Amino acid sequence: MPDKPDLSRELSRMEAEPLLDIEKKLVAGSLILGVLLLVILGWLASWIGRGV
Amino acid sequence: MPAVEAPRSAPTSDAAGAARVAAPVPGMLASEDWWSVWLGLGVFLLSIGVLVGVDLLGWAAKSQVWLSPASSVIPVSPAYASVPSVVSILATYVFLLVATSIGAKFLGAAVARFAASFTVVYWVSYGCWVSGHFAYIAATPDKLGALGIGWSMNLTGEAGFVLALVAGLLVGNVFPRGAAWLAVAARPEWYIKTAIVIMGAALGVKAAEATGLAGAVVFRGLCAIVEAYLIYWALVYYIARRYFGFSREWAAPLAAGVSICGVSAAIAVGAAIRARPAVPIMVSSLVVIFAVVELLLLPFVAQTFLYREPMVAGAWMGLAVKTDGAAVASGAMVDALIRAKALAVQGVEYKEGWMLMAATTTKMFIDVFIGVWALVLAIVWCTRIDRRPGERIGFASVWDRFPKFVLGYVTTFVVLLAICVWRPDLRAAGGLASEEGTSFRVLLFAMTFFTIGLASNFKKLREEGIVRLAAVYVVSLFGFIIWIGLFISWIFFRGITPPIVGG
Repeated sequence: MPDKPDLSRELSRMEAEPLLDIEKKLVAGSLILGVLLLVILGWLASWIGRGV
Repeated sequence: MPAVEAPRSAPTSDAAGAARVAAPVPGMLASEDWWSVWLGLGVFLLSIGVLVGVDLLGWAAKSQVWLSPASSVIPVSPAYASVPSVVSILATYVFLLVATSIGAKFLGAAVARFAASFTVVYWVSYGCWVSGHFAYIAATPDKLGALGIGWSMNLTGEAGFVLALVAGLLVGNVFPRGAAWLAVAARPEWYIKTAIVIMGAALGVKAAEATGLAGAVVFRGLCAIVEAYLIYWALVYYIARRYFGFSREWAAPLAAGVSICGVSAAIAVGAAIRARPAVPIMVSSLVVIFAVVELLLLPFVAQTFLYREPMVAGAWMGLAVKTDGAAVASGAMVDALIRAKALAVQGVEYKEGWMLMAATTTKMFIDVFIGVWALVLAIVWCTRIDRRPGERIGFASVWDRFPKFVLGYVTTFVVLLAICVWRPDLRAAGGLASEEGTSFRVLLFAMTFFTIGLASNFKKLREEGIVRLAAVYVVSLFGFIIWIGLFISWIFFRGITPPIVGG
């Protein structure tokens, strides 16, 4: 297992990996689904009432 | 489902614990997660003896606000009022020492070594907890007259938690050898998970009093899953990859640590994408440091600006603070600080525990889905990014990462909720049972605060390269995670207040 000084140096000198299409799809898909679900859940919460 | 090998199993307890002596016993006796269930359920089962007239834990020590040290501690149950305080204090220590030593034995620790370290951790934490109840620190405005004092810091007894945290930070950063000697008993995740299992009972009693509000809290917890996994993780991952130039191996665990649940999530995601084990461990050390900073700041920010929106404040802690220990601890602090301020400014005395429930429920819903998210990422990585022939993914990995202490919490919560709803005549006894459990729960909280402080080594921030990790953390956490969490908590909880004492 690489020791921490090696990893620390690795962190400071890391070269960028280009974003793959699947990564972009994962991020975009998560955000879109997340916002949609929050809107739906927020609407449900106001429709059901806040239960006090 | 593609044939892919199950991801390397990741521990659900903290990284330091995972690095200790390997547990000799497999299965349900081999992890801190399971032992939090056994210890928590053990205390719970002993406490509910009062429901059938058998008071088994009434001797436990309960701290109260004091001017004279002699009146700082009493037995929790009126049935044991004649027991001297010192006996109560010693009995509570022995009970926890024996219970945790049994667990430590199964977890592979040398029992004598553990017992010695635990003794120091316990008494320092306990001393801080009792000190935090000193009247000039803890007394709320309504108690000043009865105590015969003219002022106090109005921090409530939970100031003891802050004292324990500061003590841990001092030892961890100024006396590293002392911290190293205490490491075998420095198990904040174990202590807080056990405390959460015990706390389920108390929250079950409260939920019986206001089932509608309890339902709203649970609903908010479901929404937290959507925020943490679909929004926060995605944003942090993209920022880390696109703007800070991190590789996939670093960005995925870092995003999990910042957005989901600190240590556990970083390790689970690291295993899912086959990162080198040291990568999520480095991320975890940063998570702990930032969790401490949040714990020291956010409850007081919430008290200042959100005392008129207490449930918003409680849910906010569960979303914004990124380890179980610090999130629940922040919830406890917010609960105490806002109740004190609402009483001082508005003359309103909220019932204790609702803000804590909001924080805890929100955080636990996030925890529950760590395994699911790790499986999702494992599938993506193994099928589209890092394909290896003949590998297999199984749903057993989801169970492997499921936080088992949640089972204990749900059990104690549901059992006492059901009893209090179906047998309203037993609510008073249920209240006493939860109080007795609380006597142990607060001590476990205090030990959590102290050992979190022990584990927070700020010198790590000076390590080469760590600044880059910290930069992502700062930008993400203080740039949008905290504020989105506040905004969504506001949407769901604005205008909702806990029940009022005597209301």
